[in-house]
Amino acid sequence: MSSTVQATVKRRRSTSEIEESTPAWRRRLTSDAAARVAALLSFLVFWSLLALLFERVPGPVEVVQRLGDEFSRGEVFGNFGTTLYRFGIGLLLATGAGIVIGVLMGLSQLSRAFFESPVLVGLSIPAIIWAFLTVMWFGFGDMSPIVTTFLTAVPFVIVNVAQGVRGVSRDLRDMSSTYDVPVIRRVRDLVLPAVTGYIAAGVRFAIIIGWNGVILAEWFGGGGGVGYRARFWYDANRFGGFAAWVVLFVGFIVLLDRFVLDRAIRRAFRWRDG
Amino acid sequence: MTDQLVDAAPAAPPTDREASARRTARRRRWRRTGLLVLGWVAMYLLWEFGSWWYGSRLLPRPHEVLAEAVEIVESGNFVTDFSASVLKTFAGFGVAAAIGAPVGYLMGRFDYWRAFFHDGVTIAGTIPAVAYAVLSLIVFGLSNLGPILAVALVSTPYVALNVAEGIRGVDKSLITMSEAFERTSHQIRREVLLPTIVPFVFAAIRMCFAVAWKVEALTEVFGGRNGVGFQIRTEYQLYNTAAVLAWMALFIVFMLAIERLVLFKTEARLLAWRPDERSSAL
Repeated sequence: MSSTVQATVKRRRSTSEIEESTPAWRRRLTSDAAARVAALLSFLVFWSLLALLFERVPGPVEVVQRLGDEFSRGEVFGNFGTTLYRFGIGLLLATGAGIVIGVLMGLSQLSRAFFESPVLVGLSIPAIIWAFLTVMWFGFGDMSPIVTTFLTAVPFVIVNVAQGVRGVSRDLRDMSSTYDVPVIRRVRDLVLPAVTGYIAAGVRFAIIIGWNGVILAEWFGGGGGVGYRARFWYDANRFGGFAAWVVLFVGFIVLLDRFVLDRAIRRAFRWRDG
Repeated sequence: MTDQLVDAAPAAPPTDREASARRTARRRRWRRTGLLVLGWVAMYLLWEFGSWWYGSRLLPRPHEVLAEAVEIVESGNFVTDFSASVLKTFAGFGVAAAIGAPVGYLMGRFDYWRAFFHDGVTIAGTIPAVAYAVLSLIVFGLSNLGPILAVALVSTPYVALNVAEGIRGVDKSLITMSEAFERTSHQIRREVLLPTIVPFVFAAIRMCFAVAWKVEALTEVFGGRNGVGFQIRTEYQLYNTAAVLAWMALFIVFMLAIERLVLFKTEARLLAWRPDERSSAL
């Protein structure tokens, strides 16, 4: 009995006491930064283990070498440029169309009823089907990746924007309709400022989904680009070169998301969170 | 006086007003249904226009795809390939739950593990599906394990994040009370933490279901031996576009049905004991 009491008494030290009693090296070892480094290291160890276990899996060293090879061959920037050009156009179109339809869907119940099913269907069609179809329709060129990006990304923009518009203050909307404020002014002065954050969130989704679409379309469509080059190595059974391209296109989207999109979204939602 | 006013006011007009309100509501409902139908009609017309524009070889007409779908359903392939795909998806979910739940548990309980896994879990959400699909194939080659691994890779971060969220939402006073009554940590885990986690694992699976079955099909397209994705690739290589679309349409309908009928219902039952959260989640 007395021992359990002592145990509970022992446990009830204040947090500052606990903090002071742990040595500095231990505190440093359990800090967030150390945890991140440990995570990175264990990822590399895990990868190397995987490479040892499965002979088809290229190890980190080999992938870095292949990455260097591709850079020295000058294949990286040209292919990335091609892909980014197609991706950018598709995304721009998707954002424009998505905002227009999304605002319509958010503003009126009736247009929501009309667009509901097409958006649902669009959300559930996988990118691979669009890639197959567009490659057959447009052949090997810029058109197929652009259209695939557009078609895979646009439903996500629409859904997000519609959600944002529906969240716009009901009172302000009723007031503007009572006072007969023209639709253009209503959109510009009331809806757009309120939905900027949702547009940003939708565009972020669209970028992540569309990036997958553009790579798939290039994979099956040929005609240069990141997906084409990755497939080249995959077909050649040179998985090192393939993994190097995976690192490139995954790294690109991760960095873009981390350092550009995340910040932009936080900025756009400043009025709400701040 | 005041009583009279209160009594008198609602006597006559409400029936009139109610009737007109009901009429407006009915008219609005009709208009809504009409526009819903119009949405489908517009899609149908767009499709017909597309197949007229590109020719029915490049984009088969809707009724051709329908005929093909009927043919697939009537032949036996339908059942074997669908069950193969669905089984692989759920096996992937099993793996994801088995790995994601402990990771989420660690993330929810300890700050160190939270920082350890946080980057990886958030990054995993931005990786394109095609990377998962092809990497799984490199690891396992042409086998049924590839799609399972791809589904697991896609779903594990969702499960981990959701479980971490759930663990942090656990009623702290319940744990304190269990400790005060000298329950063992095993008992606390079993009786307090586990019941809290299960709904969150399920919500995660329902959330990522739409992504997961697409990744599963994609992996089969790249290198499967059976399943819907395999059939799609085979038909694509034969340039049989109608069959590609028919397989895909059947798969979409089937998966939406599973999502709506099976997952939503099961989740509603699992969450029935906590009505507040259920309503707020919707």
